Amino acid sequence: MPIPPGSYTLGPGDGTLLVRTGRTGAASKAGHDLVIEVTSWRATLELPGGAAERSVSLTADSRSLRVREGSGGMQSLDDDDKANIAQTIDDEVLKGAAIEFRSSSVEAGPDGTGLRVQGDLDLAGARRPVAFHLDAGADGRLTGSARIDQTDWGMKPYSALFGTLKVANEVEVAIDATLPAPRPDTEPTA
Amino acid sequence: MVELDHSFQTGKPTDYNWDAILDLDRLIPCVQGGRVIERTSPTAAKAEIKVKMGAMSMTFTGTVEVVEQDDAAHRAVLKVKSREAGGQGHANADVVFAIDDGGGTIHTAAQITGKVASMGEGVVVSVLDGLIKDFTQRLQSI
Repeated sequence: MPIPPGSYTLGPGDGTLLVRTGRTGAASKAGHDLVIEVTSWRATLELPGGAAERSVSLTADSRSLRVREGSGGMQSLDDDDKANIAQTIDDEVLKGAAIEFRSSSVEAGPDGTGLRVQGDLDLAGARRPVAFHLDAGADGRLTGSARIDQTDWGMKPYSALFGTLKVANEVEVAIDATLPAPRPDTEPTA
Repeated sequence: MVELDHSFQTGKPTDYNWDAILDLDRLIPCVQGGRVIERTSPTAAKAEIKVKMGAMSMTFTGTVEVVEQDDAAHRAVLKVKSREAGGQGHANADVVFAIDDGGGTIHTAAQITGKVASMGEGVVVSVLDGLIKDFTQRLQSI
């Protein structure tokens, strides 16, 4: 369904922002597919009515990633393992750099449902274009995902076991949230 | 049994290379995650190797011993016997060093059991090959 005009602000209280990683390499069986939650983030949707320009933006704290699930591997991840991964992400992958997305184009999706969003993503100190679709359900649920090739942002996918176990280059970033009420000061009145 | 062959370069003379690979206090730390726990004789040591697997790691503890030493041919055989700490796995190997001017060759015959082996011989070969290649890089500055 179309998202009603208005200005919306979303954060962890409204849903989840997840990063899903896979693995590759000769010893990929030794590793885990991970579901990582970004626990500190803020998204805004500025969707004025009429022909006014729409925009979508998101900021996230790169030090707020927490491992929620790990599937596969030779043994299951315990809490210490999950904490170690979060530390490794901080120290060796994202290194505390800002994560920020700003749209350059926001259009209605096919059949007027959802939004087709294009823009620039700052990640690990680099800025690259990214595009994704946001779907809005009749129940107010907002979902969408983007696929990110780490190397496009100059990142070297994490590897272990002498390079035989690697995080897959492509990671998925997905949002699943309940669209809150539009901010009162921006709710269309006519 | 997995058998692998590698070579290494040090750029140093034969006598230097020969002394270096027989000095377990210098050689064992050239294995990533490896350290000497205790020297038990001039030709043997208790040692451990900690292998990082992303968030987790496996530690093997055991012995490294020079079991053959041909000073004239500059050929030595080192026997590694180790067991996974807290697990059922073993990693044993006969490592043959043949030293010459500037470097040498390494022939490794290894038997791996336990969780690593359960992932298949292809995985064992890949990981062992990666470990030894890393070892040969570190030997450059031994």
